[in-house]
Amino acid sequence: MTSVPLVSVFSADDSSKVTAKHIPLPAVFQTPIRPDIVSFVHTNIAKNRRQAHAVNPQAGMQHSAESWGTGRAVARIPRVSGSGTHRSGQAAFGNQCRKGRMSLPIKVWRRWHRRVNIKQKRHAAATAVAATGIVPLVLARGHRISQVPQIPLVVEDKIESYEKTTDALNFLKRFGAFEDVQKVVSTKVVRAGISKQRGKKYRVRKGPLVVYFNENAKLLKAFRNVPGVEVVNVTRLNLLQLAPGGQLGRFVIWTQSAFAHLDKLFGTYRYSSIIKDGYQLLRPLITNPDLARIINSNQVQEKVQPAKTTKVLHEVQKKNPLKNTKAMDRLNPYAKKQRAAAAAAIKANTKGTKKIKKNKALKKASRAAYNKVAASLNDATKAAVQEEQDIKVKYFSVQKGAAQTE
Amino acid sequence: MSQSVLWEVVKGNNAFLVKRNGLTLSTDPFNNTGVQTYSSTGFITQNAIGVVPTQSKVNQINNVNLVARKSTKFQQVDRKTKNTQSVYASTLSVKHGIHTASRVIRKRFGTRRLGLQKAALRKLVKLNRANAVRRRNEIAATKAQKK
Repeated sequence: MTSVPLVSVFSADDSSKVTAKHIPLPAVFQTPIRPDIVSFVHTNIAKNRRQAHAVNPQAGMQHSAESWGTGRAVARIPRVSGSGTHRSGQAAFGNQCRKGRMSLPIKVWRRWHRRVNIKQKRHAAATAVAATGIVPLVLARGHRISQVPQIPLVVEDKIESYEKTTDALNFLKRFGAFEDVQKVVSTKVVRAGISKQRGKKYRVRKGPLVVYFNENAKLLKAFRNVPGVEVVNVTRLNLLQLAPGGQLGRFVIWTQSAFAHLDKLFGTYRYSSIIKDGYQLLRPLITNPDLARIINSNQVQEKVQPAKTTKVLHEVQKKNPLKNTKAMDRLNPYAKKQRAAAAAAIKANTKGTKKIKKNKALKKASRAAYNKVAASLNDATKAAVQEEQDIKVKYFSVQKGAAQTE
Repeated sequence: MSQSVLWEVVKGNNAFLVKRNGLTLSTDPFNNTGVQTYSSTGFITQNAIGVVPTQSKVNQINNVNLVARKSTKFQQVDRKTKNTQSVYASTLSVKHGIHTASRVIRKRFGTRRLGLQKAALRKLVKLNRANAVRRRNEIAATKAQKK
């Protein structure tokens, strides 16, 4: 990045007023985003708040139980000695037994805490701070920032002197942070599980984090009763607050002096940190992480082979070229000409035979001859029929109604 | 911030991710397909357009908003409409016609991202149709009431 990104500082009373127009972004915000480091550091650091607990070491072992050995038709597990009660003869001591001690009972000297290398912790914190300045990450974490005037949100130091919660609330409303607070309030839920009986009744989301600088700031008291809001001094930035759950992108509200202090705290790429002794901000592994841009660049596209198209066979129904002229033409463009030539040849061949002209006179004569023949045939048929009838009349007296004479 | 880098951070877990019935879906307003994939996840890009239904009011004709992803970190006030844009998006209501909206979508995506363009247009059309049906039913209901 050649040009330094700039940030405005807003007036505490009026979100549309800007008290300082262009402040350069501290170098921490340019740190490469390393979710792997953050996730590693977070899982370890999150264990550091645990309190030692253990099972009663005598639990399940306060019996003089002894195994009955073999030969008694019972399992060889130690059994409670004595008599006169149901408990006698019952199995004891084993993790599988009822009222037995658990397997591998928890000891107080379990390794509860984890130490993490300082450099890793610092890199994680720096990345987490950088992520608070990236809008998609803050959105992805689930903060409601549609009304917020700027990310990162930097406000003048006046809010450090807020004492009343009403002032704090009004400030949050003015800067569009109240939506996030409302989200926290509306999603407060009774915790599932036994913890609710152990002092952790509700599960509450995280809202904005307010970061201040001056030690005698009173804003802690003003903001602490607002649900979801956390307040922290810049010198004590906590990864567990900057990336709750290991998820980058907390919505942070910085005061001007806190924001200015970040360069001293984390250092820049020109000088190492003043406060964190010898700490130098992490450098990116890749200077240009925009893969799409690299792929589409001239240098890459010049060397790259043209993209292969996937050819699917039998995508279209196969047409028989011997029957389908279009299919044939597709395969053999000359076929069209061949067909035309063949048709022309046929036409040329049939050119010799004369076309019979319709001769009307001939037609008439032939029709007359036909009629004559037909007429004579008709006559002959009629005569034959008549003859048959005559015979019938003569010899059998069928017609004419005469009586039959033998 | 590059889309590739953001995707690596966000793909495993984000506020819009919904995993149900073996499906990986997204409620990202800039995602028009509903499925969480690298290209369809709009909030990590700088130039996505989301087609978003708004709260229905009886007299509103079109209850669809176009939400266009911005690359600046600052809120801007649109001088004409006096609407403040948010830090990450500017909103256009589709009140005056689906054609303006579709032109906005087409212009934004141009010839490069046809898949995204089609997805946005498809969603726009569907929401618009749904609105038309709802509006028709509302009118019929009010008419029936009057009788």
